[in-house]
Amino acid sequence: MAVSSYYSIAYLALFLPIVIILYTVMPKKVRWLVLLLSSWWFFWCVSGKLLVYILLSSLSIHHGGIWLSLLQKERDSLMETAADKERKKELRSLYKRKQRMAAAAIAGLNIGILVFLKYGAFFGGNLNSLLALLKIPAVVSIPSLAVPIGISFYTLQAVSYIMDVYHEKIQADRNMGRLALYLSFFPQLMEGPICRYSETAMQLWRGERIRHENLVSGTQRMVFGMMKKIVIADRLNQFIKNVFTNNSNYDGTMTAIAVVLYTCQLYMEFSGTMDMALGCSEIFGMRMPENFRQPFFSRSISEFWQRWHITLGTWFKDYIFYPLSMANPMKKLTSRARKKLGNHYGPLIAGSAALFVVWLCNGLWHGAGWHYIFFGMYHFVLILAGNMTEPLFRGAAEKLHIRRESVPYRAFQVVRTAALVCVGELFFRADSLRIGLSMFRNMVTGLSFASIRNGTVFQAGMDRKDFVIVLIGVLIVLVNSVMKEKGIQPRKWLAGRPAAVRWAVCYALILFVVVFGAYGTGYVPLDPIYANF
Amino acid sequence: MKKGIRKAAGSVVFLAGLCALLIFVSYLFLPKNNMAEFGMDEVTANGILGEKENSIDVLVVGDSESYSAISPMEMWAQQGFTSYVCGTSGQYLYLSDTFLKRAFEKQQPKVVILETDAIYRDVTFGGSFMNRLENLFSVFRYHNRWKSIGPGELFSSVEYTWTDDYKGYSYNAAVDAGKNEEHMNPTDHVAEIKELNEEYVAGMAQFCKDNGAVFLLVSTPSTVNWNYERHNGVQQLADKYGIPYIDLNLMKEEVPIDWTTDTRDKGDHLNHSGAVKVSAWLGKYLKEQYSLPDHRNDSAYAKWNEALDRYKKAVGQA
Amino acid sequence: MERLIEILEEIQPGADYRTCTNLVDGHILDSLSILSLVAELEEEFDIIIPTVEIIPDHFNSAESIYALIVRLREEE
Repeated sequence: MAVSSYYSIAYLALFLPIVIILYTVMPKKVRWLVLLLSSWWFFWCVSGKLLVYILLSSLSIHHGGIWLSLLQKERDSLMETAADKERKKELRSLYKRKQRMAAAAIAGLNIGILVFLKYGAFFGGNLNSLLALLKIPAVVSIPSLAVPIGISFYTLQAVSYIMDVYHEKIQADRNMGRLALYLSFFPQLMEGPICRYSETAMQLWRGERIRHENLVSGTQRMVFGMMKKIVIADRLNQFIKNVFTNNSNYDGTMTAIAVVLYTCQLYMEFSGTMDMALGCSEIFGMRMPENFRQPFFSRSISEFWQRWHITLGTWFKDYIFYPLSMANPMKKLTSRARKKLGNHYGPLIAGSAALFVVWLCNGLWHGAGWHYIFFGMYHFVLILAGNMTEPLFRGAAEKLHIRRESVPYRAFQVVRTAALVCVGELFFRADSLRIGLSMFRNMVTGLSFASIRNGTVFQAGMDRKDFVIVLIGVLIVLVNSVMKEKGIQPRKWLAGRPAAVRWAVCYALILFVVVFGAYGTGYVPLDPIYANF
Repeated sequence: MKKGIRKAAGSVVFLAGLCALLIFVSYLFLPKNNMAEFGMDEVTANGILGEKENSIDVLVVGDSESYSAISPMEMWAQQGFTSYVCGTSGQYLYLSDTFLKRAFEKQQPKVVILETDAIYRDVTFGGSFMNRLENLFSVFRYHNRWKSIGPGELFSSVEYTWTDDYKGYSYNAAVDAGKNEEHMNPTDHVAEIKELNEEYVAGMAQFCKDNGAVFLLVSTPSTVNWNYERHNGVQQLADKYGIPYIDLNLMKEEVPIDWTTDTRDKGDHLNHSGAVKVSAWLGKYLKEQYSLPDHRNDSAYAKWNEALDRYKKAVGQA
Repeated sequence: MERLIEILEEIQPGADYRTCTNLVDGHILDSLSILSLVAELEEEFDIIIPTVEIIPDHFNSAESIYALIVRLREEE
């Protein structure tokens, strides 16, 4: 069965209905098993035998969690009988060390598999170049390995579970099935969201029955996600592919348009897939964490990253940024620097060092390639620059009597942020750093109105009518986003309307997808972008 | 409980409304004639829609092998029965099935031929499901016409007027020689036929039986696409369902294909001279085996003779 | 508590720390100000704030920060 994405017919018309029916007819107690087995089935359909990797991860965090909890119990019972404070302190640090070893071993195993499978070739290749450069006659053989689907996502979930048990935020779970389901739940398998054990594991396990409201609301969300993907992202596919692969044939304006459209496509594909994932979970009565909060209303890059791929950002913040910046040496550094540099610049040193690591990891997480590292560094520099210049901007605004909360100033910030994001996505999409740089040069030096005036823009894979449809689709998404920004939940709002309005909206949306979707002869659907990360 | 029933009823009404809407929109998007200007897809194969009612004796479905190897006009000229090739390039079996059923809405062929190459093009669940959906609501097939559709077309009635002079055959006289090597080395190996594919073949056989037509499997010559493993696979399938099977690749005497002159792409497809050889034998065989009628002097079929004149002018006397 | 409010105002002026309950979720305290705050609190109250404790819930209001300080001092 060709379940290749959440938009494939096999998934929507066969897999999902079967799972829903099985889930409904099975007694509450074994519903989790239905979900687990279907998740594994899904995994098998996409990645086949590589299923063993996720099984291995499940097994490792199960055993690792229990190992940690045994250490914790042992410590607690020894502490109770401990004679004095000194002894207690000793015990605490002894067990801290033991636990740290255990946690490092399990987390290291999981990350090791990820690094080996995903980055082995990249590091190996670079090592070989380095060896050649240094004239050392040795070559590392590079195995070409198949990467299981969603490994970048579930590995982070596995590590967060182990770290949370280590920090005693959560109790170790003795139930292997529950942990396995937490790692592999099919709607989030391919592109996230990256969930925490404390957020989803119990919900998945509960086996709540499927409620009519949830079924309706979840399906609505899925149709909305399909709209984003099939009407907008897929329609943009040809144009973007053309301009990115044959960039030398196009001028700066075309490149700029393609870059903006690619950013749009990326957002529509990713947030659309999140709608598919969260909508599907909603059908089963489960709430997953949101991954987007209207990112293009952000006023700074740092705010952008709090609204785009949120679960990845919070993962990096919780498991890399704070642990690093709060490590003892860093803390001391911060304290000392604060006294000399003040409250704003004081924590910047430690913070920036941690931030650098976060963005290096963020870049690498997206893929093994220098342009991804560049992408990470680009955002690191922008955020750092934002932090450094913040007092300057504040001062300048005060002197110039610009009200920073005024609408024009906010609009300026939003547009500036979006433009910076688009430039970042150029490097993200480019096949290599070199190509990215040459495209960037082309974009800034070759701007003119020629290709709009002579109609080249309508000959690169999208004609006028295509642009109109994309525009309408984007407007629909925009209305939805503005509603959310104003604190209105569009689907809740809809549920409160009279039946005639409700049905009309649903019918209109479905027909919009059916008629204006970019599918059928002449269209190639876009491969899931994030699933390959 | 009452509330639950009301909700369920609401959903049923909603879905019924959706179906009604889709049927309505499907009508809007349906090409109102079988020509490309009207938005018709696969125009050559769909030329059968313009043929007079109950006028086709033999229907051929299949992929590019079918329309490259079988020329209805040759068989008309020599034997006098009518045939039509509903072949499309890269045809999946679900499309063969669709063309078969579409043809039977207006025609009553006595013989239906499935060219066997399509049997080895694996049908996916998604493709098959989508095809069913397209058959049910044609908006899924023709929705991309939104760009070109004129307001006058939306509500006009459907009338198919166009017919193809070649009756689905694709004339190509180019020669790109292949090697005269043996591509049918006997073996016991059997090329596997996927379950879904088998289901479609069985379904088409049953459909023909129910409609009083003979269902026939024919492998046209191709050194690239055909071999003994596939022959064995189709033979097994044919035996299992009691379908007659003819493999022209094994009939070197009756259909003497010379791969240095009879192919347009190194043995992948036959060219015109190859098609003439296949059609000559196949026409004779079908006529004798199934005692097909001769309409050549029937004034009701005058249009076929006119088409034959134009065909002969175009291809020359082979 | 008074001292805490002072510290907060020193680190990030311009918010009403007595009433605000979404310091983190409302992006009044960003991650850098948290670093500052933690360093200052550790010095001022002679505690160690482990990384685990740095979650939005603990830093969303002056009251919750205060509760955290009290708890950590007791645990010492």
